[in-house]
Amino acid sequence: MVETRQMKQKKKKKSEKEAEASPNAAGTDKKKQLQQLDNFIEGVLQEAGEEFLEEFKQVEGQ
Amino acid sequence: MSIPKVIGIEQEYAISVKGADDLSAFHASCMLVNAYARKIGLREPGVSVLWDYGHETPFKDIRGELFGRKTGRDVTGKEDNLLINAILPNGARLYTDHAHPEYSTPECLSAREAAACDKSGELILNQAVGLVKKILPKTVIKLFKNNIDHQGQSYGCHENYLLDAKAHQQCLVSDPARAARTLIPFLVTRQIFAGSGKPGPNFEISQRAGFMERLFGLDTMFNRPLINTRQEHHADSNRFRRLHLILGDANMSDFATMLKVGTTQIVLQMMEDDFIAMDFTLRDELRVLKQISARYDCEIEMADGRKTNAIELQRRFLELAGNFCLGRDVACVPHADFILENWEAVLGGLENLKLSSDSDLEDDPRDLRRKLDWVQKLWLFTRYRRKKNLGWNHPQLKVMDLQYHNIDPDESIFYSLRDQGLTESVLEEAEVLAFVEEAPPSTRAWFRSRCMQKFAREIYLVNWEVVGFDHGDVHRMVPLLNPLKGTKERFEEVFDKACDSRRLLSLLEKMSS
Repeated sequence: MVETRQMKQKKKKKSEKEAEASPNAAGTDKKKQLQQLDNFIEGVLQEAGEEFLEEFKQVEGQ
Repeated sequence: MSIPKVIGIEQEYAISVKGADDLSAFHASCMLVNAYARKIGLREPGVSVLWDYGHETPFKDIRGELFGRKTGRDVTGKEDNLLINAILPNGARLYTDHAHPEYSTPECLSAREAAACDKSGELILNQAVGLVKKILPKTVIKLFKNNIDHQGQSYGCHENYLLDAKAHQQCLVSDPARAARTLIPFLVTRQIFAGSGKPGPNFEISQRAGFMERLFGLDTMFNRPLINTRQEHHADSNRFRRLHLILGDANMSDFATMLKVGTTQIVLQMMEDDFIAMDFTLRDELRVLKQISARYDCEIEMADGRKTNAIELQRRFLELAGNFCLGRDVACVPHADFILENWEAVLGGLENLKLSSDSDLEDDPRDLRRKLDWVQKLWLFTRYRRKKNLGWNHPQLKVMDLQYHNIDPDESIFYSLRDQGLTESVLEEAEVLAFVEEAPPSTRAWFRSRCMQKFAREIYLVNWEVVGFDHGDVHRMVPLLNPLKGTKERFEEVFDKACDSRRLLSLLEKMSS
């Protein structure tokens, strides 16, 4: 899970000026966000694999 | 005449426990409840607030039937009561229900408050997990706000709505065909924006749809009904009734929660006012529920043979709602404009959504994935399926599905999406934080909350409809039989003047004389 936390990036707020001045930068940012998400999910799947699924059995609720 | 739709949400959380201490789910859940209770001072010497089960009648049915030999629960001893329950100073109830930590929000007047209180439950439980970690560092507890374990078990996100007693009697008891014409078709189809989605064996938009087995019923763990008929109104039942719905999905998206609850508020008011003249009765409602879950835009059949689909049916309700809100005091449904506007926007988005025959998301031109849980998941799963060539039943998709609902912001896929700016919230962080400590101001929850904040040492029992004070030789009960009374506006000054509960009761008596 340490690996996952290191990969997690805080959401960066972009100023309107930056966004207007650089549409390519917006596209690059989006790509970066998706890459970070993918890395996060890979981390999740490594940490909680199929055995997690088997162990997840719950008591029947309401 | 319709009455304001006070709302409460009860969320059963899934719990995973791993570690050296061999803790069961039940005991882990109780530890969470008590760790948080201890943190906020509810387990200090002299403080012993019990949950009053006396008003719970799980075997009494609004249709007049009695199931089993008893009408109420077995009496719970004091130790077990405190093991299982904590009544919080924000007016909520945190407790262990069938081994699940359950957070029942305080009573809310608006859909926005309900969504915020539901989210504050996550914050409270995250705190509880951190507190237990300090006591048992080798045990890892994780909580998930969802409805299925992918192994056949389900647990609920229940909604409670205040109804006028006469309308409840007419629409749900004497003539349930009225509910079948109006409320039930709405509930069956609202999953197109309220569903949380799940993978395997195919993708479905709802987690709970497959577990619903009847239209009306008393049970909640099997034979699950769309309309729960438990006669347990937690209010003056001559004036008020509680509509208890167990078919809804748990939403991580606060937008989805707000829309789910807000649209239901409006439809219920329309039903109460007999505003819906059309007959929307579906042919085989339970079958339709499952059909829509399998494919949100499928053709469905109405009882008179007409064919339609869920989006079109929801559009009819939206149109009625728009006309209803124009002609009435919309204060009864707070944020009505927001609800109507977004209901329209979401339906428009759904009409433009494109899925492949295999349910992959091909196009989402209105970015519904930023707002609706099932569309967000579909987007995620589609990316992953295509990248790794996975079938819908692949275990990795189920792990992703569960981890979407993990409430730990450092581990949750949902919160990772939010951190990357890939999903939207309608709530401000400050309002969610506020409801960790405070109750909504415009229902009886505020009164209960203030009692717990100021006089916990003098309270011996509480439930939704009563606060009981221990005054030595006597117990003094303050009934809260009207969920719309006990507000901050009415009673703040009284509480400010009261140094103890005896003074409070004296001031209340003066007010009423």
